[in-house]
Amino acid sequence: MPLLPPRWRTVLLVLLIVTVPIAAGMAWLFLTGVFNRVHGLIPVRPPSLANWRFIWEGVGGRPLVHVALLNSLVFAVVVAAIEVVVASMAAYAISRMSFPGRRFYLGLVLVLHAFPAVSLIIAIFYILRLLGLFDTLTGVILVKASLELPLGIWLMKGFFDNLSWEMEMAALVDGMSRWPLFWKVALPLVRPGLLALGTFALLSAWGEFILPFTLIVSSQKTLMSNFLQTFLSEGYADFGMVAAVGVVYALPVVVIFLVGQRYLLNIYGGGVKG
Amino acid sequence: MPAVFLAPATILIVLFFLIPVVTTIGLSLTDISTMTFREPKWVGIANYRELAGDPFIGKIMGNTARYVIFTLLFNVGMGLLLALLSTSVRERYGGQVRALWLLPRILPAVVYVFIWQGLTREAPFGLVSDVLGVSRNWISASPWTVIILANGLVGASFGMLLFTSAIRAIPHDLFYAAAVDGATTAQTVRRVVLPMLTWPIMFVTAYQTLSLLTSFEYILLLTDGGPGFYTTTVWALHAYKLALSNYFGNVQFGLGAAMAAVLVVIGILVSLLYLRIFNFRALVTEPKVEVN
Amino acid sequence: MKGIAVRLEGLSKHFGKVVALASLDLDIRAGEMVAFLGPSGCGKTTTLLMIAGIYQPTAGAIYFADRRVEHLHPRDRDVGMVFQSYALYPHLSLFENIAFPLRLKKMGGNELAAKVRQTAELLGIANLLERRPGQVSGGQQQRAALARALVKEPQVLLLDEPLSNLDAQVRLQARSEIRRLQLDIGVTSVLVTHDQAEALAMADRVAVFSTGELQQFAPPDELYSRPANLFVAGFVGHPPMNLIGGAFSDGVFASDDLRLPLPSPVAPGRGTLGVRPEDFVMGGPVRGRVVVVEALGRQVLITVDVGGRMLKVVSDTRPSPGSMVALGVDPVRLHLFDGAGRRVEAAP
Repeated sequence: MPLLPPRWRTVLLVLLIVTVPIAAGMAWLFLTGVFNRVHGLIPVRPPSLANWRFIWEGVGGRPLVHVALLNSLVFAVVVAAIEVVVASMAAYAISRMSFPGRRFYLGLVLVLHAFPAVSLIIAIFYILRLLGLFDTLTGVILVKASLELPLGIWLMKGFFDNLSWEMEMAALVDGMSRWPLFWKVALPLVRPGLLALGTFALLSAWGEFILPFTLIVSSQKTLMSNFLQTFLSEGYADFGMVAAVGVVYALPVVVIFLVGQRYLLNIYGGGVKG
Repeated sequence: MPAVFLAPATILIVLFFLIPVVTTIGLSLTDISTMTFREPKWVGIANYRELAGDPFIGKIMGNTARYVIFTLLFNVGMGLLLALLSTSVRERYGGQVRALWLLPRILPAVVYVFIWQGLTREAPFGLVSDVLGVSRNWISASPWTVIILANGLVGASFGMLLFTSAIRAIPHDLFYAAAVDGATTAQTVRRVVLPMLTWPIMFVTAYQTLSLLTSFEYILLLTDGGPGFYTTTVWALHAYKLALSNYFGNVQFGLGAAMAAVLVVIGILVSLLYLRIFNFRALVTEPKVEVN
Repeated sequence: MKGIAVRLEGLSKHFGKVVALASLDLDIRAGEMVAFLGPSGCGKTTTLLMIAGIYQPTAGAIYFADRRVEHLHPRDRDVGMVFQSYALYPHLSLFENIAFPLRLKKMGGNELAAKVRQTAELLGIANLLERRPGQVSGGQQQRAALARALVKEPQVLLLDEPLSNLDAQVRLQARSEIRRLQLDIGVTSVLVTHDQAEALAMADRVAVFSTGELQQFAPPDELYSRPANLFVAGFVGHPPMNLIGGAFSDGVFASDDLRLPLPSPVAPGRGTLGVRPEDFVMGGPVRGRVVVVEALGRQVLITVDVGGRMLKVVSDTRPSPGSMVALGVDPVRLHLFDGAGRRVEAAP
């Protein structure tokens, strides 16, 4: 609001109080990972390297953490790449090309955007088994990328809609055909959108739990989310070590957050689900 | 030429949206389970009858209603509060608070749940127990409170962002005019800001209702439907477990599919309804270049 | 309704390093209509918003009668304001829009309705009260905005470019209506505009601003016939005054081959001569070639090339382009400015 209330500092205090749980949670995670024993938010033991032993030894018959990290990295990057390319191509066609059934296609994308994809997980399990893609990284990658598509297409369509028509007309008159036009002219102009979608897809895939949990079984193909979850599901006593695993898993997200807060606010202000 | 652009997306959508929708309904009409996986038999609506007769189905529906309603109230209420408060302070601070509220959403779900587990432990470890002075494992003691708050902290950011944009879209002159007319901050919020938020509030409520109806990830991780027998099991979670977990020995895939099918059908109907209500027409204009 | 006097003392506003308003001293009399006139960025709107309380001054004081108000919140200043965009609440009917300030004061139903209707009738929109802003014309919206500002009987009325969003036709009518209303009611008013014709037509006195500084504060006649400096001379009056650089000496103004006698001796030195297009007469010492002839209705606007200088002349006769003309000016109508751009008064 353009005119701040006279006692806005009180308002800020209320805001901060309400936000404390989030800050407390993050603090707890890092403190527990480093100090191993924390009462509330107060460490009671000196920093312990034992918490971090999962980095060099397989704990409780699990694979080494770098297997899970690598799998998650590959998963996140490939999903984001597929997402960005496939969604932009489709969005370009919907936004900038004329074809029969265009309105229908757009309507379909909109419906799917609102549709809760997670309810299809049972059928997807069945289909992947039929296709022989069950328990493969390829399978989960394809599923994740597909389920994010409606959002991606929607986001990119918004960016393509804002491009000037004159540019396309000029390129066509100059003799360029649509395919090279898309790659050489249109895509560079929507770079902010590509970055936004890419970041969104990356973060979403990095944290994805239910899909890999359901569709991957072998421990060599496990992702970080499953890796961490196996610690949670034991009757465990070692909060410190689990927290350390959590810190490693969450670190990239936290770094992205600290470096690009404003940027993230912009992206998530755009297309948010759930 | 458009076909080339649309092909990859279309294939993926057909494969992982359209076919699964049909498959869910199809599977629900068979008796497919671990034993009959290779050779399921057609059983018509037998699965649905079995569901209707299940003694626990009432409890599950009650749980689902409880989950959706209370989380929705928190989501919308908190989102509104955050939007109003964060736009009433200097933008520098308001923006940072909003960014912090994004964290629960972007943090991987498993880490997020682990943090909740850590904070809700008994004293002296759990911060909540320390602060409240009462030592409990709060997830076992008040599972619904934890579930609703945990989901709420993630869900509130959706409303917060939408409402914030709507507030910022209000022309500044309206605020100046209200100030000159003599309005206090509270009056300005009540008479100028809230009326402009009616549409976004309706949209967020509608969208998140559908979303909550079918979500179960955090519940699965926090309580797995417990701590007792079906204490916090919601419809979507039960469907998942029937079909995909070893809990029952012989996995009853068809039965789980039946529960999922109910959600799928509701999902389709409601999504179509949104399209109607939330103005589809405005989004579709014809392209200005007709050659491809 | 009686207006109060408004005094601005040493008022200034900085936005970071940008000086939107340098120190301003201004006295507005009770019941007077004052126009703040100038191009964009000159500080007129900034000053208006400080009087309203939406901006806080960097330094200086604002007095309403004898009361210092510059630290008061807008809601405590009892001003009425009409915004350029009208700022009507789209979700409320015109009745509710006008009633808004009264509702905030918790005024009772009957009294409130009576006041709203009375004010609406004053502005000729009593029959539109049930409609929403989106359902009435621009001119009607503007009158509703005015009604909302006046319904609470404010001490001061502020108008921020109230006519610029109106069609040209409606604008002329609205101009005289607002002025008539203001005279009837007697409320002290400040009008911000970039349109000099509007300022001259509506105001008792006009304050001309340029880049944050007051150039002249005087009644319209004086601005027109005795502009205080080059800026005011060039800004007030349409078509704009011709300004010719040259030198004063021996009772004559000389600029290259152009020579004009002055009405009386003036200190010698470089300076500028100003002649309004409508003050030129046919026949005189200034010779030039007609370049363009533009029709103005009964008169024409001629652009004359005098030794490389393009002078604008308003004339009843219609010479053809390319022809030579001779122009003269009554010395009394000459405007003289010194080397620093300030008005030089010719001794009577």
